[in-house]
Amino acid sequence: MRSLAFAAAVLLATARAQAHDFWIEPSTFHPAPGAMVSVGLRVGQNFIGDPVPRLSAFIAAFSVRQNGKARDVVGSDHIDPAGFLPVDGNATATISYASTGAYIELPPGEFEDYLRVYGLDDVIASRAARGERNKLGRERFYRYAKALITGRDPSAGVTKPVGLAYEIVPNDDPTRRFAPFRGHVLYHGKPLSNALVVALLHGRPSVNLETHSDPQGAITLPLPCPGIWLIKSVHMVRASFFASEDWDSFWASLTVEIPEPEPELKP
Amino acid sequence: MIRPLCKVVMAFALLPIAAGARAHEIGTTRISFTLHQTQTWSAEVITPPTPLLNRLEAAAGQPLSSAPDVDALRAGLDAFRRDIARKIEVKFDGVASPVAVSLAWSGESADATRPLAVVLHAYGPVPAGARNVTWRYRLVYSTYPVVFSSEGMQGSETQWLEADTQSPPVSVLADRRSHTTLEILAQYLALGFRHIVPEGLDHILFVLGIVLLTTELKPVLVQVTAFTVAHSVTLGLTMYGIVSLSPRIVEPLIALSVGYVAIENVVVGRITLWRPAVVFGFGLLHGMGFADALRELRLPEAEVLPALVSFNLGIELAQLVIIAAAFLTVAIWHRDKPWYRPRFVLPASAAIAATALFWTVQRIFP
Repeated sequence: MRSLAFAAAVLLATARAQAHDFWIEPSTFHPAPGAMVSVGLRVGQNFIGDPVPRLSAFIAAFSVRQNGKARDVVGSDHIDPAGFLPVDGNATATISYASTGAYIELPPGEFEDYLRVYGLDDVIASRAARGERNKLGRERFYRYAKALITGRDPSAGVTKPVGLAYEIVPNDDPTRRFAPFRGHVLYHGKPLSNALVVALLHGRPSVNLETHSDPQGAITLPLPCPGIWLIKSVHMVRASFFASEDWDSFWASLTVEIPEPEPELKP
Repeated sequence: MIRPLCKVVMAFALLPIAAGARAHEIGTTRISFTLHQTQTWSAEVITPPTPLLNRLEAAAGQPLSSAPDVDALRAGLDAFRRDIARKIEVKFDGVASPVAVSLAWSGESADATRPLAVVLHAYGPVPAGARNVTWRYRLVYSTYPVVFSSEGMQGSETQWLEADTQSPPVSVLADRRSHTTLEILAQYLALGFRHIVPEGLDHILFVLGIVLLTTELKPVLVQVTAFTVAHSVTLGLTMYGIVSLSPRIVEPLIALSVGYVAIENVVVGRITLWRPAVVFGFGLLHGMGFADALRELRLPEAEVLPALVSFNLGIELAQLVIIAAAFLTVAIWHRDKPWYRPRFVLPASAAIAATALFWTVQRIFP
């Protein structure tokens, strides 16, 4: 069954388009208690990313929540990795990053291609309805990345939103056992329906699972194998009249290491 | 090796300026591109090796190397040298140049077995008579700087590129030495002038609206001075990011201000006490419009102040030229004629008002 699901989910990543994902890549997902973890930021495609040095001017928030307490991820500007944090290893920790907005302009054709690939069909329809299909894609994009660092015990905090504008929140701590990933997609804290959510497996760019959130914002991704997964989604809304861009896009990502399945106990 | 690295360091010193205009995140790849007197070009691409190798492996349908050490990286990238060369696109006057690539290693790492950067040495011929060159590197997904320089010529030109986009054409023959302050002043003076005459029809109509109301020199000068002081203030404040208003608001209001001045010419027909104050208010808006034009040039930080001053002077000069032209061609000869207001001022003001109101609607609903 799993192999069937796996085969059905495999898509050729090379067919994917030009827009670039953003995620957090810690030096390890399984640090020893008290270890210092370096936190890399990555931009790229197919879960292959260029390192992004820290630039304070672009950071709206960069923090870690462990044992119910939040603290900033510290680092030095222009340096990759972008941050460092000591982990206590007691429970699963959540690193989160929010960027300030960045403006981009794309030619109409490229913009529509990118919208199509990221499942933003409502934006395509809205542009068509307003006769804007030949208009430049003027967009301000915001990055909202999270990563889970495995601890000794599960953490209920993992299942709570950290307050990002766009966020993928697991229903259970996914670092504990091999199981389908279940979670919710939240936009400004409220469930978002029909959002395209994609999961990519690190080191296997051809493995690509897709699903859409249901009316309650719920998603289920039957991850076919253990490993480091990037779960991501993009939401786009028309910018306010007073903005200089036409669209605001919100890029949510969650990187997590899914453990090996428990060995079956023999009678 | 030292010289290109210095250029790259200089490019990164300009990073906050580029960052203001960036789209994708700025990565760690940087490139120095040199045109040699031997009719060849060379480029040093300093880039993180693991994502480079993984990207090439993915494109070739191979399994990705996980945390490769320096030997694995060296062997892996060496095997892909031809593929790397195919992903580097150097064009002279739109025609692709053949590209060859060799590899070296650079940087220090906490883990000696994992170097921070690989240096790709790309090189190729420059066709005789080439006038400009473009660069494109399709193995990077972040924003990065390319520093163009020519052997035997001073200075360099830095282009910030978005991932795999092509650079704008860079002149092969240009002397890229730093400009003197005097050259910068002259350059932006001309730019400020051109921004009004001939490019700023809305500003021209606004100034003509001021001149049409009265042919007395003093009221014209009072209004123009109010306008000048106001737009100088907001031009400076906007350029330094102290005030900010979306062009969606500023541009329709500028058009509306032109319409207001012209309508007042028709309806009131004389200079009122509030007119200089209203013109001052409109000047504040026009200043923000001027700042948008100047900001689009993405000035290096050192050039902002001289550019601001001389751009503003260029605008003043253009305004004075418009006023002088209006006086010399019409007003000075016909202002005392009985038909001057009914047959010239009123139709001209009405035409300006109609145009401005059309622009207002057009700018609100582009």
